Amino acid sequence: MEWTSKARGNALVVRPTGAIDHDSAEAFQENLTAALEQLTETDGPLVIDFSGVDYMSSVGLRVLMRVSKTAKTKSVQLAVANLNETMVEIFQISRFDKLFPLHDSVDAAIAG
Amino acid sequence: MLVRFWGTRGSLPTPISSVEIREKIVGALLAADGRRFNDADEAAAFVEGDLAFPIGNTYGGNSSCVELDLGEDEFMVFDMGSGLRPLGIDALRRFGEGRAKTFNIFMSHLHWDHIMGFPFFTPAFIPGVKLNFFGGHDQIEHALRRQQEKISFPVPLDFMNAEMTFTVLEPGEIHEINGCRVEVIKQYHDNDSYGYRVERGGKTFVYSTDSEHKGDDLEAENAFVEFFRDADLVIFDTMYSLGDSITMKEDWGHSSGLIAVDFCHRAEAKRLAMFHHEPLYDDKTLHGLLEETQRYEELMRGEHALEILCAADGLEVRL
Repeated sequence: MEWTSKARGNALVVRPTGAIDHDSAEAFQENLTAALEQLTETDGPLVIDFSGVDYMSSVGLRVLMRVSKTAKTKSVQLAVANLNETMVEIFQISRFDKLFPLHDSVDAAIAG
Repeated sequence: MLVRFWGTRGSLPTPISSVEIREKIVGALLAADGRRFNDADEAAAFVEGDLAFPIGNTYGGNSSCVELDLGEDEFMVFDMGSGLRPLGIDALRRFGEGRAKTFNIFMSHLHWDHIMGFPFFTPAFIPGVKLNFFGGHDQIEHALRRQQEKISFPVPLDFMNAEMTFTVLEPGEIHEINGCRVEVIKQYHDNDSYGYRVERGGKTFVYSTDSEHKGDDLEAENAFVEFFRDADLVIFDTMYSLGDSITMKEDWGHSSGLIAVDFCHRAEAKRLAMFHHEPLYDDKTLHGLLEETQRYEELMRGEHALEILCAADGLEVRL
């Protein structure tokens, strides 16, 4: 999995690429956890820019939820943005769209 | 190998309501659109062929009980929810046809919804019937005795005339039972549960219900994928949406259809039966979940296609 990470003001924007499935779930979790460690409650949100992600299976969704729970304990906001049509459908089927607002852009995610 | 579902509901038997029946009749009348039927056969053919499943049928309301019918041999039964009662009645008919009066009963665990059918299992009262209980727990007999103590039921276990044996099966070992190769896996559920893989005559059947897969131990998930490897049918606990199963219903010991699809894809299983349906869900909702799970399968499919069905009381699947 390729991964980029970039500060945007107080926010941190991370961008995974490829598919998030059983083969890449561990890397997804490690990268997200490391990103989260850079932030404190006074920082802006951790935004996951999914524009480079083709699809995400249930194991990736469960990683996302676990990291989201950790973020809550640190009072850090976690936001998702730029999901392609397949990803939107996966979020809807899994009901993750009820758990995470799906932002159309990184700017919208940062604005909350 | 014929798989027969006698009970598919989770947690509690869920009888269909008058409101739901009325909705089905209204749906059928609208679908008929003024069409006339000359006789009952023509009307039945319309119901069978033209109506959507949730209008012409019900997924059913008995709690977990599945039969693996091996033809002339001894009975193979998985769990004793309220679906065991109609299985017992049908078994009497099959006794009359010369069927062996021996039941091999495999218990996923001993929660109430999985044992509540036993006090109403008619064959257990018949002398000459043999009941061989198998499970990962060593408390099967205790659970059945306790269920039939005076405070809960008027007929104690000792009043039943069938001969009973209780055998603990160790996970990871191969067991030969009724001409089948049986494997057991320990599952994550309150007080544990156990899944079964049964192979015979080149066919493989997997029964894995009441198991939560949190995704925090990928090695443990690999073990389930191997347990499901090349199965002809995997019966899997798909009680909740993925979102619910890891938020408000975390640690309730159940799973979702999306996890089932991912495991089955990796295992290259042929068919998945969604099972242990949430009592809150009516037929329309269950059918919607089936369609969503099928769509997820399509989105995630690699080279291996997986057929998905939603288990219903009375459904038969030949392997």
